[in-house]
Amino acid sequence: MAEQEEVRDEELVALAQQGRRDSFELLVRRYMEKAFHIAFNFTRDTETAKDLSQDAFLRAYANIKQFDGRSSFYTWFYRIVVNLCLDHARRHRRVSWESLDQMAEESGEQRQFADSTFAPDEHAIAGETKRRVDKTLESMPKKQRTAFLLRNHQGLSIADVAKVMKTTEGTVRVYLHRAVAALRQSLVEFV
Amino acid sequence: MKNRAPLASACKQYEEDLVLHYYGENGQDERRKIENHLADCLSCRSFLDDLRRLLPQITQIEKMPQSFWDNYYRQTVAKLADYEERKFSWRAFFAPMRMWMVPAFGTVVAAVLVVGLMFGKDNIKLFVEPRAEKIPQEIMADKNQLEFFESMEIIEALGKLEAQDEPKTEATPTDSTRVSGNAQIV
Repeated sequence: MAEQEEVRDEELVALAQQGRRDSFELLVRRYMEKAFHIAFNFTRDTETAKDLSQDAFLRAYANIKQFDGRSSFYTWFYRIVVNLCLDHARRHRRVSWESLDQMAEESGEQRQFADSTFAPDEHAIAGETKRRVDKTLESMPKKQRTAFLLRNHQGLSIADVAKVMKTTEGTVRVYLHRAVAALRQSLVEFV
Repeated sequence: MKNRAPLASACKQYEEDLVLHYYGENGQDERRKIENHLADCLSCRSFLDDLRRLLPQITQIEKMPQSFWDNYYRQTVAKLADYEERKFSWRAFFAPMRMWMVPAFGTVVAAVLVVGLMFGKDNIKLFVEPRAEKIPQEIMADKNQLEFFESMEIIEALGKLEAQDEPKTEATPTDSTRVSGNAQIV
């Protein structure tokens, strides 16, 4: 298993293209967390993120023979995930982001900011920061938000973000800067 | 998190470069330029420090337990297996058909044509033969026109009867009498 984990994506893809499902399953194991996280960043709902990311794997497997290797598998696959998330966002635009606050309040889901070392007032500040960040992300133009999420949350390089979004690196830089500027604007008022 | 403005203002012309610098996306020359600027500019340093403090925090999402990932992987693999099974079941359904499908289909089409020609001759005519052109209303026979034509026929018939009634004995004038007659008139 450890040896198989070392196998490069390209080799696994080539085997999957020959009908080896077990090879594709290794790609699932390799990218499932990233796929889920990006879907979660878009949808803010665990079940929806799980369904969307699993659908992305299914779609990638169904179309694996069309993958020509011009980009990395990871870029190609991310494009599928992002497109599914954008389609989903188009259909359920108002639900995902607005439900976040309720979910967070109801389930006490503030763990990412609510480190045990934080004092109660810091918890409140962290909660407010999170709300502001989410609200700002919600109000951003879709492409700007996508670029920001892919770079900031997923750690894709600007070159890869450009490939995923089928745009130029210069455009991604502009999106990224504007997204950070918007976040700054929303948070700078929060003193 | 401190209770203060999380992001300080930076020099406008360096703001975009600072964002790229934070992500490690600027080139070597740009990086050197930014570092030189940062050495002298407190507000840009604060801006960059705030990016380093804030952006990783908003990145974090709830960490899912291992059981979630095990379940996720199991479900995905099951979905893949299900997809493959469905795909191959369709292929298996169509595979034996391919051998005889084309001639069988051809035979069925030919049979339908023959039956259609045999029993639906009149119906086929409707489709094959062009329809007679519609006669314009103005030349169609109406009641009055028919009466007119009938009266014409009667007149012709009367003329024929009269011709029959004329005595056959009256000889047709010969050329000599016709000439003399003409001479008399003159």
